[in-house]
Amino acid sequence: MTREPVQFMSHHTKVEYKLPAPSLLSIESAKQLAAGRVVGHKCPECGKVYVPARGYCPLCVIETTAAHEVEVQPRGIVTTFSVITPLQYQGQEEHDDYAQATILLAGTDSTISMQRLDGIPIDDVRTGMRVEAVWLPESERSASPEGAARGFGLGRAITGWKLTGEPDAPVEEYGEHIL
Amino acid sequence: MRDVAIVSFAQAPLDQPPGQTETMMLIPTITEALGNVGLTRKDVGFTCSGSADYLTGSTFTFVSMLEAAGAWPPISESHVEMDGAWALFEAWVRCQHGDVDVALVFSSGRAGLGHDLRETLLFQFDPYYLAPLGADYVSLAALQADAVLERTGKTERDLAEIVVERRRAAKANPYATISGDYTVDDLLAKDPVAGVLREHDIGPPVDGAAAIVMVAGDRARDLCDRPAWISGLDHRVDPHYPGVRDLSVSPSAKLAGEKAGAAGVEVAELAAVCSHEELVLADALGLGAGCAINPSGGAVVGNPMMVTGLARIGEAANQVMKNGKSKALGHASSGPCLQQNLVCVVEGRN
Repeated sequence: MTREPVQFMSHHTKVEYKLPAPSLLSIESAKQLAAGRVVGHKCPECGKVYVPARGYCPLCVIETTAAHEVEVQPRGIVTTFSVITPLQYQGQEEHDDYAQATILLAGTDSTISMQRLDGIPIDDVRTGMRVEAVWLPESERSASPEGAARGFGLGRAITGWKLTGEPDAPVEEYGEHIL
Repeated sequence: MRDVAIVSFAQAPLDQPPGQTETMMLIPTITEALGNVGLTRKDVGFTCSGSADYLTGSTFTFVSMLEAAGAWPPISESHVEMDGAWALFEAWVRCQHGDVDVALVFSSGRAGLGHDLRETLLFQFDPYYLAPLGADYVSLAALQADAVLERTGKTERDLAEIVVERRRAAKANPYATISGDYTVDDLLAKDPVAGVLREHDIGPPVDGAAAIVMVAGDRARDLCDRPAWISGLDHRVDPHYPGVRDLSVSPSAKLAGEKAGAAGVEVAELAAVCSHEELVLADALGLGAGCAINPSGGAVVGNPMMVTGLARIGEAANQVMKNGKSKALGHASSGPCLQQNLVCVVEGRN
């Protein structure tokens, strides 16, 4: 009785990690979001506004703090998007195709990605769409900074983005921010 | 070969705000390292960093850490999924090309985030024969401790004495996690955690960040009164499988030491995360009785993984730059039971 040489071996592994203690910055951002405010930091040197705030300006490489906090309106332009067909791997929670958008919020210089679109059929999704936030009811918003990775930091309060009804933005308005 | 010197070394302080990111630890560390010699990020010709995504469990973490180096306009940089000591090696090689005079090396790690570093490090093993054994780095270190104690005739007391000395020396090092006056009997009163190794024999995994600035040629003398000239730099690796090695000796450390010219160093900073590793390394590197070992406290007083080796090289460089030494050695290690070893020898010249 001959046996075929082993060609494949299953190697299932699992490793656990602790979530890092939330930074003071993410605790503050979470509180603001629960109160319905989208805030970021404005660099004192170059004046660029980053949402969510990182605690530093990546261009000037200087620290930014609560002293540099600014509020921005929860509305913006879709700069780019992907339509994802979720691979059904073990542990996958998504089943239907969905669009994931990158949005340039008005008054900011950094984009937020991994945002969901609300009530927009996939075939209608296009760059330049003007959108505004769809908020969870205030009582359901989480002020906890845990799960901060969801929706680029906004997922605890904003579930998606819907069309404002305005005409699309011309590419000149957002072209510099397409990744 | 171009003469390259270490002119500055900086580390992130232990006291960090809660949830501090690696990028935020690195920004002031890099600013300080460059500022020590009057340089800014704009003066850097090549940047190399070291880190390991497995420590935090996120992918491509080192990409965001690059922002600490000021990566716009785009910079010439590279990264190694290794201790920063190997990033220093790559930066040294880059300086040999002749077109880059100033190199920035940095590394960081958050080794405390894994549920248990012993579990995380199982991923470094061959998945067919080694990983399924679940032989973690501490258990394997205990095997090596047995082997070296048997070969040398030394005992657990000797290991505890090493720890007592390192913790005392660490009182002068604000970047050491554990420091203070302990007695051998106090330490030996605790139960072992693996083989003969007790908790005090194993450097605690902690968060950390460090940066080193290297300058080639005469420019080093313009920027620094007493540059730590790299007179030797070499790294070697032993077989992956601990089972085919004589764990009581380290042929790779011995060869790296010879090639780097370790003979006659006055000070040796060894990345011995476990106390018995100092015995293996001192033997392999031929360190004489006159050589001071780990005046910083070494790695048994704190193991900021990915930074530990770079910090040893930085401490050795400081012995030349700030403490008047003429020849010092910084060592880094990777893999189970000192599998891979890097030796950097630095000299002061008058």
